[in-house]
Amino acid sequence: MSRIRVHGALPAVLIAGMTVIGAPVNCHPFIAGAAAPAPHEQAPQRKYSLLWKFDTANTNKVAIEVSGVSAAALQRLQKSNWGLSQWHGLLSVFVETADRDLPPMVGTYHVQPGLLRFEPQFPLEPGVVYRAIFRPDKLPGEGSSAATHIVSVFQVPRREQSIGTVVSHIYPSAEILPENLLKFYVHFSAPMSRGEVYQHIHLRDGEGKVVELPFLELNEELWDNRMTRLTLIIDPGRIKRGVRPLEEIGPALEEGKTYTLEIENELKDGNGNPLKETFQKVIKIGQPDRVPPDHTTWKIQSPKPNTREPLVLVFPEPMDHALAQRMIRVTFESGKMLEGKRILEDQERRWTFTPTATWHPGEYKLAIQTTIEDLAGNNIGKPFDVDLFEVDRREIDTSTVYLKFVVR
Amino acid sequence: MKRIHHIVLSVMMLGLMAQGAFAKSLTSEMKEGKPEFKSMGPLAFGPEGILFIADTKSAAIVAIATGDAKAVAADAAAPPLKIEGINQKIAGLLGTSVDQVLIDDMAVNPISHNIYLAVSRGRGPEAIPVLVRIKAGGTLDVVSLEKVKFLRAELPDPPVDGAVQQGNRQNNPRRESITDIAFLDGRLLVAGLSNEEFASTLRAIPFPFRTVANGTSVEIYHGAHGRFETRAPVRTFVPFMIANQEHLLAAYTCTPLVQFPISDLKPGAKVKGKTIAELGNRNRPLDIIVYEIAGKNYLLMANSSRGVMKISTDNIGNVEGIIAPVPDGGKKGLAYETIESMSGVDQLDRLDNKHVVVLRRAEGGSVILETLPLP
Repeated sequence: MSRIRVHGALPAVLIAGMTVIGAPVNCHPFIAGAAAPAPHEQAPQRKYSLLWKFDTANTNKVAIEVSGVSAAALQRLQKSNWGLSQWHGLLSVFVETADRDLPPMVGTYHVQPGLLRFEPQFPLEPGVVYRAIFRPDKLPGEGSSAATHIVSVFQVPRREQSIGTVVSHIYPSAEILPENLLKFYVHFSAPMSRGEVYQHIHLRDGEGKVVELPFLELNEELWDNRMTRLTLIIDPGRIKRGVRPLEEIGPALEEGKTYTLEIENELKDGNGNPLKETFQKVIKIGQPDRVPPDHTTWKIQSPKPNTREPLVLVFPEPMDHALAQRMIRVTFESGKMLEGKRILEDQERRWTFTPTATWHPGEYKLAIQTTIEDLAGNNIGKPFDVDLFEVDRREIDTSTVYLKFVVR
Repeated sequence: MKRIHHIVLSVMMLGLMAQGAFAKSLTSEMKEGKPEFKSMGPLAFGPEGILFIADTKSAAIVAIATGDAKAVAADAAAPPLKIEGINQKIAGLLGTSVDQVLIDDMAVNPISHNIYLAVSRGRGPEAIPVLVRIKAGGTLDVVSLEKVKFLRAELPDPPVDGAVQQGNRQNNPRRESITDIAFLDGRLLVAGLSNEEFASTLRAIPFPFRTVANGTSVEIYHGAHGRFETRAPVRTFVPFMIANQEHLLAAYTCTPLVQFPISDLKPGAKVKGKTIAELGNRNRPLDIIVYEIAGKNYLLMANSSRGVMKISTDNIGNVEGIIAPVPDGGKKGLAYETIESMSGVDQLDRLDNKHVVVLRRAEGGSVILETLPLP
């Protein structure tokens, strides 16, 4: 929806029920773009020009200004009660493509002293060619005797291609992973683009053949907000026992085999540049893990008092990288949380916590959410898929479990 | 995008609307201003032209009063609409290149039959969400959200956030992707999938939204083989009446179509769906709607690789739950046929009583928006 704003003594014009808000944007000196009469057109009776003007606060925010319009015509424009299609007929900006049937760009029209101005709603895109068309014969009162149309073409310089983004880490870090592995986390050194993840990330078997549809594909893709971490969930249908995909096609990963997780360099970063190189991680597949993590088997190495030594927690198996960092807290006996830095290392088997302040002698607790997962999505007290026929199935209902330790 | 549509319910709703003439408008509790969005999609329409927009990046749902509530007869013979290269047209409107346009969801306003698209202008972290509207003649415009009546519901944070500074949500790498939303009987139903824990949460948030975490959430389970059960994130769902009882028909991320009564959605409940159709391997469900032809109800479901399926609901009240794998060609569960004329469909919604609008993939990354007769 384009909007029309008229400056001066006249009130703002409203189009299609839309309220026009905002102050006029400051104009800055002419930077680029030249008005040019369309070829084979009669020379205009007045000298009109189209200027592309940058907003210095946002270099890709550009307004299009038409100068040379008579004061009388501008006054008539101010008084007009035009609809959007009439404004489009007078001045429009298009993205230049092979498809000449595109709608004009959305933006606001302004009548200012000596100027007609169009402000696109969005910043211009580097590399894209834009075409502004001004038709003086559509000016109110000018009629068909006025000049023919004026076209100006403009291109925002392309972004500099800077190929440097890499895959910085893939979790799990372990080389041997369970057959029923649930997730990969792929970390990138810079923000990425979305929309083509499943085209450019593959799982290949030992012979280099691409494994068919190993991941749960979601159009939106599972990025963090900074778009530097991608979560790839292995298709749960290929993990869950008793469901059709697993029964008929089999698991995505099979015990005893070797696979390569491949992130092709064609995957684009946030600036649209490809990755520096294709990244490959070789993994070996071990037995499925259907045993829930048991926090009572985790080993605590208590720090010494009056130091900032790390508290160390050692798991007997690797844990989910994101959840092990988020779901374990250190608290005083009272339950008050300690501030500090958590690190997960040794292939996600060793969790350390370095407090901001020194340890005081006394009792502390580790509060662990039971929804923490191992690599196969098993929770504390609850396997990923519960076998209802198992007699000694143990389920922990509480959402948090505790481990105590003493600093002395 | 989902809308409830069933003859019994439609009659009920007509009754409610008649009462509603004297009741307070759902928009009366909305405030006027500029709702902030970091992302848009999925979309779902409620009554009175209210559009619910899921903002996954902000972990919020925003209801906006579109004001697009001028009724158009549902059976009006709208001319067929076919816009080839809709993504290119939107790129032109937004002043960008076609590769910088992603269409994340589509919803039809059931009152005006205008089509709304949740669009991302850009693909990176700085992408701008835009709501695009397509009117009957095929004209596109950007819906201004500068000054609209709206209400916002923040989805609750995960209970413990030990790895990051408290309250600094944007630095928390955990995000809950909203896979589908639907408005039903004064509540917005929200299915989500976390990018960390294998969650299976379905929330029911009363509308108008009042407090932040006033929704109830339940865990959805899936049973297989009568023996195993697991958490089961919902990919897409639609409300549906079965034996005068409201149900959800849900397609899980892992497997087929299931049903469970909405009355099961009680706080803290563990809900296990009944599998009513096995819809094939190497396939994932994308979108589902309900429609009625000649007094019979059907489901229309878009899939990633098995085309659009028309699923009969004739025996839905009596269908025996599938508890063992059914080989291809098996007759257990609901019967379905694949609609050959609807290839490449990613998203669909009911345009009116006789037409569906689809977004379909064409060669070279082009996207076609097209209205088609309901099969």
